[in-house]
Amino acid sequence: MASVKLTKVKKIYDNKVVAVHDFDLDIKDKEFVVFVGPSGCGKSTTLRMIAGLEEISEGTVEIDGEVVNDLQPKDRNIAMVFQNYALYPHMSVYDNIAFSLRLQKVPEDVIYDKVTKAAEILGITDYLLRKPRALSGGQRQRVAIGRAMVRDSKVFLMDEPLSNLDAKLRNQMRAEIILLRQKLDTTFIYVTHDQTEAMTLGDRIVIMKDGYIQQVGTPTEVFEMPKNLFVAEFIGAPKMNTFRTTLSKNGDEYSVTAFGVKLPVGGEKGAALARKNAAAGEVILGVRPEHIQLAKQGDPGAIPVALEVNEMMGSELHLHVYTEDGGRLIVRVPTIDLDAQTRENLVAGHRLYITAQAKVMHFFDVETEENLLND
Amino acid sequence: MKEDGWSQVIDSNHLFKGAMFMKQYSDLEFLRLSRWGKFSYRLNSFFCGIPQGIKNALFGAGRFFKKLGRGIGGEFGELFRTFREGDWKTRASYLVMGFGSMARGQIMRGLMFLLFEIVFIVYMALPTGGLFWLKKLCTLGDHGVTKVTEVVYGQTVEKVIPGDNSFRILLYGVLTIFFIVAFIYTWRLNVRQNRIAEGILKSGKKLKSGKDDLRSLVDEQFYKTLLALPLTGIVVFTVMPIVFMVLVAFTNYDGTHDGANNLFTWVGLDNFNTLLSWQGGNNVYSAAFGEILSWTLIWAFFATFTNYFLGMFVAMMINKKGIKLKKLWRTVLVLTIAIPQFISLLYVGKMFAKNGLVNLSLINLGWIRPGQELPFWEEPSWARITAIVVNIWIGIPYLMLVATGILMNIPQDLYESSRIDGANAWQQYTKITLPYMLFITGPYLLTSFTGNMNNFNVIYLLTGGAPTNARLSTAAGSVGHTDLLITWLFKITTGAESKYYMASVVGIMVFVVVAVISLVVYNLLPSIKNEEDFQ
Amino acid sequence: MKKENIVMEQGQPRLKRHMGQKAANTISNTIIYILLIAMSVIWLLPFIFIVLQSFRVELRGPVGYVVPQTWGLDNYRGLLTSDFKRWYLNTFIIALAVAVLQTVIVLCMSYTLSRFRFKMRDGLMRFMLVLGMFPGILGMIILYRVLKDLGLTQVNAVPGLILVYVASSGMGYYVSKGFFDTIPKSLDEAARVDGATRAQVLMKIILPLAKPIVIYTVLTAFMAPWGDFVFAKYISFGTSAGMNVAVGMYSWLNLDQISSRYTMFCAGGVVVAIPVTILFLCLQKYYVEGVTGGAVKG
Repeated sequence: MASVKLTKVKKIYDNKVVAVHDFDLDIKDKEFVVFVGPSGCGKSTTLRMIAGLEEISEGTVEIDGEVVNDLQPKDRNIAMVFQNYALYPHMSVYDNIAFSLRLQKVPEDVIYDKVTKAAEILGITDYLLRKPRALSGGQRQRVAIGRAMVRDSKVFLMDEPLSNLDAKLRNQMRAEIILLRQKLDTTFIYVTHDQTEAMTLGDRIVIMKDGYIQQVGTPTEVFEMPKNLFVAEFIGAPKMNTFRTTLSKNGDEYSVTAFGVKLPVGGEKGAALARKNAAAGEVILGVRPEHIQLAKQGDPGAIPVALEVNEMMGSELHLHVYTEDGGRLIVRVPTIDLDAQTRENLVAGHRLYITAQAKVMHFFDVETEENLLND
Repeated sequence: MKEDGWSQVIDSNHLFKGAMFMKQYSDLEFLRLSRWGKFSYRLNSFFCGIPQGIKNALFGAGRFFKKLGRGIGGEFGELFRTFREGDWKTRASYLVMGFGSMARGQIMRGLMFLLFEIVFIVYMALPTGGLFWLKKLCTLGDHGVTKVTEVVYGQTVEKVIPGDNSFRILLYGVLTIFFIVAFIYTWRLNVRQNRIAEGILKSGKKLKSGKDDLRSLVDEQFYKTLLALPLTGIVVFTVMPIVFMVLVAFTNYDGTHDGANNLFTWVGLDNFNTLLSWQGGNNVYSAAFGEILSWTLIWAFFATFTNYFLGMFVAMMINKKGIKLKKLWRTVLVLTIAIPQFISLLYVGKMFAKNGLVNLSLINLGWIRPGQELPFWEEPSWARITAIVVNIWIGIPYLMLVATGILMNIPQDLYESSRIDGANAWQQYTKITLPYMLFITGPYLLTSFTGNMNNFNVIYLLTGGAPTNARLSTAAGSVGHTDLLITWLFKITTGAESKYYMASVVGIMVFVVVAVISLVVYNLLPSIKNEEDFQ
Repeated sequence: MKKENIVMEQGQPRLKRHMGQKAANTISNTIIYILLIAMSVIWLLPFIFIVLQSFRVELRGPVGYVVPQTWGLDNYRGLLTSDFKRWYLNTFIIALAVAVLQTVIVLCMSYTLSRFRFKMRDGLMRFMLVLGMFPGILGMIILYRVLKDLGLTQVNAVPGLILVYVASSGMGYYVSKGFFDTIPKSLDEAARVDGATRAQVLMKIILPLAKPIVIYTVLTAFMAPWGDFVFAKYISFGTSAGMNVAVGMYSWLNLDQISSRYTMFCAGGVVVAIPVTILFLCLQKYYVEGVTGGAVKG
């Protein structure tokens, strides 16, 4: 249980490649923080610097107020779960979990209690005498978590722990990690490239790209108020529709022209734009697929489109549509909202109308790709 | 980054750019060429790439020296800065090593430095210490052992007045130079320690204690502990002998001038002249070198590739689906690896001798008459071919193992998809198996080639270099027709005159040849260039 | 292939094509069996000859037949009364010592180069590559004189030879480094996070996993001294008591000895080969692994 503080942390590799730039982050005690980003964004490197597996080129890492830059991993009192589990192949499950305790010279009966308790929580009591190679992927993952659990460590680091599992198992383990977190009640730092994991697990999410932090915030914050185009497109699946539009201003009234159709920007969004005194001109408009609604011909703000592909996902449809001037959009429609006749009509080439309300629109600067409504 | 003047010159005149020599095609243009066109384009690019390679090598060397120069400059700069900015403890360490460390409480570290300095100074100052040997190194000794006859109480006594010993001078001279380099490095380390320690103290942190130092030797500095023993061994038993022997190439050290009874001295490049200059074609050494080198290369080529392809062939036969008793066939061959080579080589060598089993059996069978024995080891070309054939016998089991391992790793779906594409067995071999094998074993083939160039055991135990090359009889080491450079070298050192200096020159030439071949091939190997292709 | 296609085009039943393939397969398999049998004979015959001739009593030189006319153990008895015992003991001691020491050194070197990234690492590896291009025999000239000054040659050649073999063995790290490279690094990292020092990582995690390569290294280190000729010849320098089997038995085939010692050479060869071969066949699996792994990694 501890706070972790990173101040201007930087990682420069021998070949002068900078993997992480001036990383500043204050992680509170018992917080669950997720680092998320595409591969090569520096999220794992940052985690490994906290663990002491990578040297810190510049800046400081503090755990509980103590600078740990020069400490070896073993002296930092951390626990870590690796992507490929990193179970010791020549040791039984029991010995794997007991390894760290044995190194600390903990008495064997205490080890026995701790290991069996952890095994019970994780449901691997029946496999304690097996070697890792005789276990399934999910079981291995549990052993890896068990190994980290028995440490009573200050910080719990997880480096893409679920990415080697198949989709179904991943969902199951994700739920278990949430339960585990409630039981352990310690500080978690979790690295993943999967935005779903990030959104479901994290108290706060750190979105990274090319070694830079893009945004730090709660799942709601990053979803509803993405700081820039990258975050907007990275969070949410299918990804947000973005296209260039013109923002016009008439007094305090804003509107955008998308695919030749003028959409008024009123309400809160319009007020916010006015507060920012946003200038008229070209902007990037972003609307999430689930926020686009189907409309009827003649509705105000109805944009005519044609269907290209219809993906049936079960509870919803993903409609890939294109506009007259070649713009491509994805529209997410709950299956339940459509009657059978409409659904049957949704084949390639079918013409339909879509629209979006002002409150779901995001505006980004064309040059900087920053959200126009950023503070 | 600032560029040196001369490298800019080379870069800007485009002399080495391949574009000067040939037209460059884009990928799509290349695809439209005929088969012959593609081939000639590739060939062309290869040859045009050579100047580029040379240029790269030159640049590499240039960068290296530039880096070296900058490094040395930086060192002096840091030395100066450390002195100017350091406190008195640091400054004192410039003279008394480890003083700063001790003054700051790192007693053990400081003592080690100090001890090293004392040992160094004492060694250098001893009457027969470092300075003594260094002084003599220029001449390798000026007075040899002299014998004086004296008459003592009416009896004539031969008194031996000990003189210089060139061998010792060279040996200890080299050792002293190594020691001095080590000392400078340690001194530099000692100065840097001070700077680091000052920085740590300034930032308010604590210095590492001796206990911490020891602990780090099994943890973050564990590599130092692990490397200490192996590297000491390599420096003492490989690096120093090589430095010494390279120096010997510039002396006249031989059996007569052994350094103790007869001094030897520096002779400059004379020995290289002897080996390499043609002097109207009658220089026996250069002739011997030329003949032996060409045979060495021929031998290495055949020894490597006959084994490689036949070994692969055998492996494929055993691996073929439907062949039973795979394990038995493999074991039979592997068995022959286990038996020490000197037994099989000596035995087979004698089998083919003039009065060996083969010839005697043929006489017994009445196929040849006594006096008409087949000259396996007597005729130069017979001997060479027999050596290569016996080497195949020795080498195939090993190559079979290597090939089996790799063949089993070729993904089966490659074969399945090629069968669907309509390839027959031969096409599968040339389009899949062979490229895969060559790609994977490229580096191995290179080491195997250079290894065969230096394959002392096979040649020496089989033929001993025989038959003797009468034309070259005046060169040291009784040159034979099957001698490789390495066996020649050995024979020179053990011959009557023991011309160590010639052996040393030959050794250096072996190094040069191996290094050139390695460098060229290494740069052409696809496995190095496109590491990801087959992954 | 072409013929078969024609068969297909003519609308012949598929069965025929199948039969053709099967017949072709039988023929090629038969050829392969013949080749394999011929090869086995060629590879084994010399060794069978050695064994047969080691029992020959009537003549001690090379002869034109293989099966002895009179069988006996005279040659083996002759070994006991000759210096062979000493050579054999020398070689055995050397092989044991080298097997242990060389394995330690090679493992230290290869583990370090596989796992640690220190400043001089690349330079060191390149340096050793270049160093390996010098013929090893070259250094023997000086090593011999130095060892002689230290009293480690001729009669005392055994410790001298052990020193020579072991000292430079760090340069032969390639195969085992290749093996270490295949052990995932995350195991080291997990252990370090679990509280292990680097030394503990090596002892508790890596070494137990490196059993195949340890056995391979021990095996090759043990076998090498039995076959080494050149270093042993230098260091023993003509003193019988300091020779190993290779140098000693080589002298039996010199022109002046061959007619009286040839069969004894065969007997000696059998005595030398048997233990090494048995050991080798037992550990064959590890040897094959090491050889193929080494070739792939270069």
